[in-house]
Amino acid sequence: MGEWTWRAFKIVQSIVERLPRSWAYAVAVLAARIAWWFSPLARPRLEFNLKIACPELERDPAELRRISKLNFRHHAKAYADLMQLPRARVESMRMRLKVQGWEHVDAARAEGKGALVVSCHMGSYEVVAAIWSATLAPVSFFAEELEPRALFEWYRDTRARLGISVLTLDHGGIRKVLEALRDQEMVITAIDRDITGTGYLMPFFGKLAPIPLGPAAIALRLGTPLFPVCVYRLPDDTYMAEGTPLIYAKSTGNARADQVSATEQLLRRIEGFIQRHPEQWHVPHRIWTGSP
Amino acid sequence: MRVGLVSPYDFASPGGVNDHVRNLAVRLQELGHESRIFAPSSRADVGFDKARFYRIGTPIAIPVNDSVARITLSFHLANQVAAIVADERFDVLHFHEPLMPALPMTMLRMSTTANVGTFHAFATSNVGYYYGRLLLQPYLTHLHRAIAVSEPARAFVNRYFPEFPMRVIPNGIDLDVYRPGLAPIRHLRDDNLNILFVGRLEKRKGLGDLLRAYRAMGSRVPRVRLIIVGDGPLRGRVESYIARHRLANVVMAGYVPDSVKPRYYNSADIFCAPATGAESFGIVLLEALASGLPVVATEVPGYMSVLEPGRDSITVPPKNWRELAASLVILARDPQLRTRLADYALEKARRYSWKLVASEVVEIYQDARKALAAEPVPTLEVSSVHHAV
Repeated sequence: MGEWTWRAFKIVQSIVERLPRSWAYAVAVLAARIAWWFSPLARPRLEFNLKIACPELERDPAELRRISKLNFRHHAKAYADLMQLPRARVESMRMRLKVQGWEHVDAARAEGKGALVVSCHMGSYEVVAAIWSATLAPVSFFAEELEPRALFEWYRDTRARLGISVLTLDHGGIRKVLEALRDQEMVITAIDRDITGTGYLMPFFGKLAPIPLGPAAIALRLGTPLFPVCVYRLPDDTYMAEGTPLIYAKSTGNARADQVSATEQLLRRIEGFIQRHPEQWHVPHRIWTGSP
Repeated sequence: MRVGLVSPYDFASPGGVNDHVRNLAVRLQELGHESRIFAPSSRADVGFDKARFYRIGTPIAIPVNDSVARITLSFHLANQVAAIVADERFDVLHFHEPLMPALPMTMLRMSTTANVGTFHAFATSNVGYYYGRLLLQPYLTHLHRAIAVSEPARAFVNRYFPEFPMRVIPNGIDLDVYRPGLAPIRHLRDDNLNILFVGRLEKRKGLGDLLRAYRAMGSRVPRVRLIIVGDGPLRGRVESYIARHRLANVVMAGYVPDSVKPRYYNSADIFCAPATGAESFGIVLLEALASGLPVVATEVPGYMSVLEPGRDSITVPPKNWRELAASLVILARDPQLRTRLADYALEKARRYSWKLVASEVVEIYQDARKALAAEPVPTLEVSSVHHAV
């Protein structure tokens, strides 16, 4: 995103944050329709990814179009949620978050080693993390540093206001991730995209893709449980955070093999999340070779 | 005891008086008393137990004391309030800012139980008190006991009502919530020195002076960050000042939920309170002291009733950004001084624990009930009996 795109984003954001939620969603749905028709790359890439994740869509172009349109719509709503965050009273948003699998959070807490929440780019994960952080327990995001800097700072300050620490994917960030886990916090990351370009090639929906091994490496080093969580939007525009049983990375002495083994277990869960909610998997990016 | 706490201010908006009322209600409950809150509110959800909160009237914004008071001016509250008060049978009604229209004054006029008033405000002058003295005096006679949150707040009321007796009981602080050792906002804990401002973005809070001071100290303290927590009418002007002067490392956090605010204190190295006046106390100072932060503040009467310059803080004259910058530089360059001030701050904050403050308030309630019991029972006049029949 360039300087001018950032300025345009800021203008749109400052308008959207003042709108009632229903109006913001109406604007988002309109923007999603336009983007679906006219985006040169996002739609072909998304549909390419969806066909790999859900092979049945390959044979059903009408269903693919429907899922793809819905995906744009949900993605735009997630952006509207994000744009409204700076003025949101998160305490009053608590009732919009439903949590399933709370017993796994308790199990992770009982370990006393924090929890590494591993998810994918699905649903309004920003809002869910914000509600979680402001009302339940501190969380940190382990995420990419966006360009331009002003946009990244806006993201970071908006999240920080709600108690989310934003830790970058560099050495300083990793040090802070370790600190946070040692202080028994929850650190959230996604592994369905290799942002730094250092991912390890492994099967994702049966096709080789570069996948980050960082979460598994940290889990092995600290003994922190990995907590796969699926976040999605419900039909009434509330949010569901669905926790699944913890995964423990086991050390056999071969660090790389152990990391790959734990990451494979994570990927199987994440594949399940995406197959259940393909319309909410917001990844119009290159994941596999051959993508437009 | 059954206690009704009355606040004149919009309970959905953050503010010192409402924080005080909210905390006092919780502490009274912990001490075994039943507490209810009466306040106007712009929203139904105020983040307080709905069964113990009575939403009375719709607030409107009125400029007062270089700030904006969101109070209700409805004249149709009496019936609603009378029904609730009759139903609840309070032992004590505790009015915060008892001379503020319309809710506290309406309830005070009709109350037949023990009445306690707490005065929070401080200003250089008050036109309403000056011209309304004769009108307001009878309301004060309804109060059986009165509290001022600080010496300046007491002096302010006594300037217009000289013989009116008050006891000074300070604001309290929840030492379980504001304490060192909480998870910081981690990306703010780097090699920058963090200066924290917490308050509404309005003129009297002096953020303009702090921004000028921050700009001036930039060349003398290379790695420094200013974190601004709070929102308000001056937000646009603050943002444009930052952009115009290209101030680096300024974080505009905006409104921060109460659950997250203590973590901002734990992410800071220095707390700065540059108010220009009209502060009766400064709860933010207590929050900073309890979080173990050294303070740089202006010498306004309310702040000086809390701070001990040289022991927990460095103080400077108000509206003097050059001295503010110099003090921030001194503190920024001297980690030992910061530690010394912070150690004393922590020890001092214990004196303001809500547990202690609430116990003192309960003593006042008991005195007020004794005073009510000692009042002569009004004799029944013939005309009253006639109406009753």
